[in-house]
Amino acid sequence: MERFLNPALLLLLLVVAILSLGIGFLDVEVGSALIDWFASSMSGEALTREGLIVGEIRLPRTLLALVVGAAMGISGAALQGLLRNPLVDPGLIGASQGAALGAALVFYFNLFSGMGALATPVAGLIGAALTLFILMGLSGSMARPAIIIMAGLAISTLSSALLAVVLNFAPNPYAMQELVFWLLGSVSNRGLDNLAVLLPAFVIGSAMLLMQRKLLLGLSLGEQVADSMGLEVTKRGRYIVLGTALLVGSSVAVAGNIGFIGLVVPHLIRPLVGYRPDRLLLPSALVGAIVVLLADMLVRQLPPERELKLGVLTALIGAPFFVWLVWKERQRWL
Amino acid sequence: MALMSVDSLTVARRLFDASLEIHEGEVLGLIGPNGAGKSTLLNAITGLIPRSGRISLGGHNLERLDSLQRARQIALQPQFIESVWALTVHDIVSMGRLPWGDSDQSIIRAVMQQANITAFADRHVNELSGGERARVWLARVLANQPVVLLADEPVANLDIHYQQEVMQILVDYARAGHAVVIAIHDLSLAARYCDRLCLMDKGRTVKTDTIEAVLDSEVLSPVFNVDVYVDLDNQPPVVLAQ
Repeated sequence: MERFLNPALLLLLLVVAILSLGIGFLDVEVGSALIDWFASSMSGEALTREGLIVGEIRLPRTLLALVVGAAMGISGAALQGLLRNPLVDPGLIGASQGAALGAALVFYFNLFSGMGALATPVAGLIGAALTLFILMGLSGSMARPAIIIMAGLAISTLSSALLAVVLNFAPNPYAMQELVFWLLGSVSNRGLDNLAVLLPAFVIGSAMLLMQRKLLLGLSLGEQVADSMGLEVTKRGRYIVLGTALLVGSSVAVAGNIGFIGLVVPHLIRPLVGYRPDRLLLPSALVGAIVVLLADMLVRQLPPERELKLGVLTALIGAPFFVWLVWKERQRWL
Repeated sequence: MALMSVDSLTVARRLFDASLEIHEGEVLGLIGPNGAGKSTLLNAITGLIPRSGRISLGGHNLERLDSLQRARQIALQPQFIESVWALTVHDIVSMGRLPWGDSDQSIIRAVMQQANITAFADRHVNELSGGERARVWLARVLANQPVVLLADEPVANLDIHYQQEVMQILVDYARAGHAVVIAIHDLSLAARYCDRLCLMDKGRTVKTDTIEAVLDSEVLSPVFNVDVYVDLDNQPPVVLAQ
């Protein structure tokens, strides 16, 4: 059964993505609208209304939800494997708070105004990179995973405090509202150019994680065993931290906080891959993409006057699951 | 010529100028009181902790090998081991092949047979009893096919039946052209299954010699701080605190 898992999930993702393009206020023939949009962007002719809706609004939204979900799913799976703890969330290493702070500073000081809509994601990515840099410095060259997590916690606390300062001194209520809404997490009203920031980070980050599958498997029996098998836990573990930071940082930079996906999705997959941490990565990415896409489709079905933010919805679904997980873990120790 | 020789191995504050030689086909037992440095010595040989000194394997300096090459030659069975995830017995044993980057099924099947765990190959390791689990961990190191197998207290917490079984597997592995080094507290078992012993105390190798030479109450008593009763003529040999 395991052999068919990834192809089946890929197929499901494709179906959901197509459905996502079709869903919205207006009923549109997706195929022909996409062709319209593609033809017009090639030839420069005027765009039909259907082409505009599908190509310029729904397509970026769908693709962003897909990539952000995949990034969260795969980084959660990798980080839980590295730290050998099923309750770990990729937000734990501080990259998401760093990205949020970077983006908040853009709102506050109006930095990078020449970059237009891309100013926020670029600043978010810089923020994530800076937190990562500090994380590596703080945890030191011989850092074991447990130290990295403490360092990550320290840095995310610091970033959150600075973010609170930014919010506290917001220049006007609108700036603050805009910032808070952005932080809640959403993939709406973002152009395809956001993918230019997200996609390279996603490809590089995922590749870094996928290359360390042997380490993740070896770590199942503890750091001592993994080290004794020549897997160089400290050195290779850093690639996982780096890859996760890249994925989480770029996702938050583009879409704000879409929480709990990285925590929850690996749990759904684990029984399907025989609990193998190395085989968990790819299906977690696929299911992460499917879940975020479905959640965003649900958001679009709700009344448009007061949009429920995607990040709020994933948190609403994910948090009770987290409570249940802690409950289940507790039972194990009783 | 020795298969592996360890020369003045030193780990800051824990191990001082430890030296010993290990020959092909033999089981060498590390004995000594708690804190004598047995685990530290095994970890240092495996390359898990920063150390100074020289280790040569088959005449070659171990430092010249990269971590994967080293892991193919020397495998360690740590004292405490558990699987975080509910992996199957077969998956755990296959992990012994990670340093080689293959999953040679004929080796995996053979070592599972050797360790007598074929019957529960598809069970989750967390569902097994302590004795069954000990044999699974052992099969994992055997699948690694190391030249030198290091085992830290492989029979601690096992009942007397499993103690015998595990020791016999280790002896068989040594006789098949490899070498085995074990840290062991049970001196009677050490007398019965080891070929030579290395007595350690306070981070130093005190005496490495034959069973008869090391398991002598005059040698043991000052190190363990207790009168030791030794009867090597008995079958099985008996070594106990008086």
